[in-house]
Amino acid sequence: MGTRATKGPAGPKRKTSARKKAARKRGRGDKSKASLGATVVWIGVRVLAVLAFIAGLTTATGIISMDRTVVARFDGQRFVVPSKVYSAPGILYPGLDAKLIDLRGTLARSGYREQKVTAGRPLRPGLYRWSKNRLRVYLRAFSHPTRPEPARDIVIRFEGDLIAEMRELPRSREVGAVLLEPELVGAYFGSAREQRELVKLEDVPRHLIDAVLAIEDRRFFSHHGVDLTRIGGAVLANLRAGGVRQGGSTLTQQLVKNFFLTPERTLRRKLNEAAMALIVEARYSKRQILQSYLNEIYLGRRGATSIRGVGEATSYYFGKTVGGLVPAESALLAAIIQSPNRLSPHRNPKAVRKRRDLVLELMRKQGKLELDEFNLARATPLDVAAPITESGDARYFLDLLRRQLPEAYDRKLLQSEGMHIYSTLNSRFQRAAVRALVDGLESIERRKPELVSDDPSKRLQGCLIAMRPQTGEILALVGGRSYGQSQFDRCTQARRPAGSVFKPFIYLAALENRDGPPVATLASFLDDTPIEIETRGGIWQPQNYDHKFRGRVSLRSALERSLNVPSVRLALRVGIDRVAEMATRMGVTSSLPLVPSLALGTAEVSPMEIARAYATLASGGVRPTPHTYEDLTSGNQTLEQRRLELRQVIDPGLAHLGVSLLEGVVNHGTARRLRAMGLRGPIAGKTGTTDDERDLWFVGFTPELVAVVWLGFDEPRSIGISSSRGPLQIWASFIEEAMGSEMRGLFVPPRTVERLEIDPESGALAVSGCPRRASELFLSGTAPSEICDGRWGGSVAGRERDGHDARRSGRFNNKNGKNDKEDKVGGIFGWLRELL
Amino acid sequence: MVGFGVRSASVLASALAVLLLGPSLSCVSDGANSSELAPVRISGLLEGRGPDARDAARRASLLLVDEGLDSDSRGLPRAALARYERAIQVDATNPYAYLAIARHHVDAHDPTLALQFLDHAESLMRMRGDLRDAVQVHLFGLRGAALYDSGRRPEAAELLDRARALSPRIWGDGSLHPDELR
Repeated sequence: MGTRATKGPAGPKRKTSARKKAARKRGRGDKSKASLGATVVWIGVRVLAVLAFIAGLTTATGIISMDRTVVARFDGQRFVVPSKVYSAPGILYPGLDAKLIDLRGTLARSGYREQKVTAGRPLRPGLYRWSKNRLRVYLRAFSHPTRPEPARDIVIRFEGDLIAEMRELPRSREVGAVLLEPELVGAYFGSAREQRELVKLEDVPRHLIDAVLAIEDRRFFSHHGVDLTRIGGAVLANLRAGGVRQGGSTLTQQLVKNFFLTPERTLRRKLNEAAMALIVEARYSKRQILQSYLNEIYLGRRGATSIRGVGEATSYYFGKTVGGLVPAESALLAAIIQSPNRLSPHRNPKAVRKRRDLVLELMRKQGKLELDEFNLARATPLDVAAPITESGDARYFLDLLRRQLPEAYDRKLLQSEGMHIYSTLNSRFQRAAVRALVDGLESIERRKPELVSDDPSKRLQGCLIAMRPQTGEILALVGGRSYGQSQFDRCTQARRPAGSVFKPFIYLAALENRDGPPVATLASFLDDTPIEIETRGGIWQPQNYDHKFRGRVSLRSALERSLNVPSVRLALRVGIDRVAEMATRMGVTSSLPLVPSLALGTAEVSPMEIARAYATLASGGVRPTPHTYEDLTSGNQTLEQRRLELRQVIDPGLAHLGVSLLEGVVNHGTARRLRAMGLRGPIAGKTGTTDDERDLWFVGFTPELVAVVWLGFDEPRSIGISSSRGPLQIWASFIEEAMGSEMRGLFVPPRTVERLEIDPESGALAVSGCPRRASELFLSGTAPSEICDGRWGGSVAGRERDGHDARRSGRFNNKNGKNDKEDKVGGIFGWLRELL
Repeated sequence: MVGFGVRSASVLASALAVLLLGPSLSCVSDGANSSELAPVRISGLLEGRGPDARDAARRASLLLVDEGLDSDSRGLPRAALARYERAIQVDATNPYAYLAIARHHVDAHDPTLALQFLDHAESLMRMRGDLRDAVQVHLFGLRGAALYDSGRRPEAAELLDRARALSPRIWGDGSLHPDELR
């Protein structure tokens, strides 16, 4: 396509010719130039056309892609809403200690706001007033598909710290019990830690919409996603201010930015934002866009969690649902949108109030507020609920709850479906449990610095679980000292040797008269003398904790002092299989090896199993099913509901004997330090220590609560302290904070238990003339038949050999006598052979 | 004076007659119910002067049971069950909470659960020495109804007969309405 050089002969002719040629050439050159220009233009046009085509194609592809993105988000699941877990509701009633239950703190945590008595405004749901000995609280309505609660205006009168009386206004009707709303315990978050409570546009008050539009996008209903007037205004304002002071984004652009784009400030992002805003406006109605915006907008933080949407923000800042907002509160929410962290009502009330007032002024100017409404709203103080931060205290509990839910409720579903789970957790107990365990472990480490390790996996660990014995509701659970460092829940996932907390199963099996007379009664005596037992691994010689033998000891004393040798002897008499069966019946689910050492708790069990088994005792022989939730709801539907079930597994009388034995442990035995610590009232419990003090246990219960504390290393090694020091101390701290120092209730003996006078030296019945007397409990029909004048004789060993007959006859050999004979029995079968 | 004296004597005689005959007349009006015992009611426990009314937690727990019975009566079984469970939260040894749950499960034709709760209520009442006829009548009746549902008809009939004999007014129809326990 380039010009070609011409070649020809030289001379004048040649000159003329050359001139002609030159002229031709020039002519041709002009033509050629013209042709070249046309060619260039033509090429340019073509290039442009190609470029335009490519650009168009790219744009179209981009728009199609954007459209797909928009549709996918809007038509699919627009919001990921973590499911929330709530505590059990608090219950107030006359006689309750308001200080102990931390009523003021409970109200604050539930988002209730104090209104000064002098405020002169009517009390509304979510507000309360304290005066000298009176609390007036307007309880909010609690929405639930099957057990809703109405809003109630309650006046509580106190005498000291005790609730003396409660009346419901306006009729001043006396009420016996009122329920507080459940507290938020936590939520199942996905990768983004965002909390959101979805709202429907029809539920949002008009003044909130007006407030948001007034400050953020007043022409929302007239533009098509991009507001050129607003952009122009913003540009001018920014030029005047010499920097970026004002944004020109519409609500649609803000929504698009939050949904699809990064927060970077580039022209490319801005163009994308505008394009997507136009697509959103073309595809969806203004109402759909507005509802999405109100549910998406970022409105602050609760601890490490973002608050998204006006529903969640209303709950966080005002402790109510969006329908209950008043114009001043709506204006405050709208004011926060610009910069939720800088304009936090908790951190910067002055600044946010200034902006709230600006919102109100704009609303007034735009004709959205009447003058009296405007004046009232402007005069209203900010009045936000106290900030509630997530403590992270209940994360082990939340994990257990998730495991207890049916399989269909997997992690993904819980993280996205916004369900409400009403748990059994008592948030006050939970805080007390965390504090007691963490402080207790630190205290042990201060006493024994050699236990301290910088390696989180080698730190001394512990767990604490508290359960309501009659129902199995888990009231508190702490599975380790730091969830952040280790999510392994030692209450439910660890299996550790039970040590002496296993012993009560032996005694209960011995006391039971289910298949005939019992092997022993509480008046029986046991041998604390050396014993050798043949096992597969050789001869086993159990020892007491102090390596001493006491000869003849009462059955009570053997358990109170947690003596190993008499317990092993009793287990062999009862039969290891029966001991294991008793443990299983009471709630131990781990496999129990049928070996003599089972008597000393060599079987590995979880603290949860132990809690359940002891709860069976505390509840009069009814074995509870440990559970963490009451029900699970979504919208107005209850999806899951836990059924309370009771199963009587041991006779109430037998359970009461067990309780009585364990009360002895607290009153006179290895747990007597509890009394020295000032804990009063009905308490029963058992300490437990395994070989080399690798595992330390304390299980204690009152008529209302059973709590288990376990301490140890994940890789077992010696702790070097006794269970009556470590776990017992933690248990006491927890129980004192949770229940006070005076335990409520009574361990009531059932009718099948009789209290009789016995001679404590012989265990025989005491009649008039007997020099020594003590009262003892017996199951009906199992009282000793001999009396203290010495109708029975012979050595204990001899009586033990008669044990089989004694069981059949229902008579017991309790008279004093000392057996210093060293038993040498060939295992259980050898021992049985000797018996027979 | 004489007239006044006669009139006074007549008034006195009438008064005496009312005093003497009144109770018997009322018995006559009651007919067959004259010897019927009054089965236990939650309202009676709350209004009484017994330990149930004195102990704050027990009282609150009984009030929650009463609210639960009200919900059951209004056909809100789940709300009722939630109230009974709150009653147990406040006082886990309140036998009437378990009794009310047992009644609830009898109504729901769930005899297994009903019997579990009846056993527990009975055990708690036995512990407290509170197993009097006024309570037994409901235990007989509810156990009978639960056994009937579980197919153990002869045992059920015997227990229901015992309940009926003790309180024909309440147990005459073989069931216990929530209001009859309130």
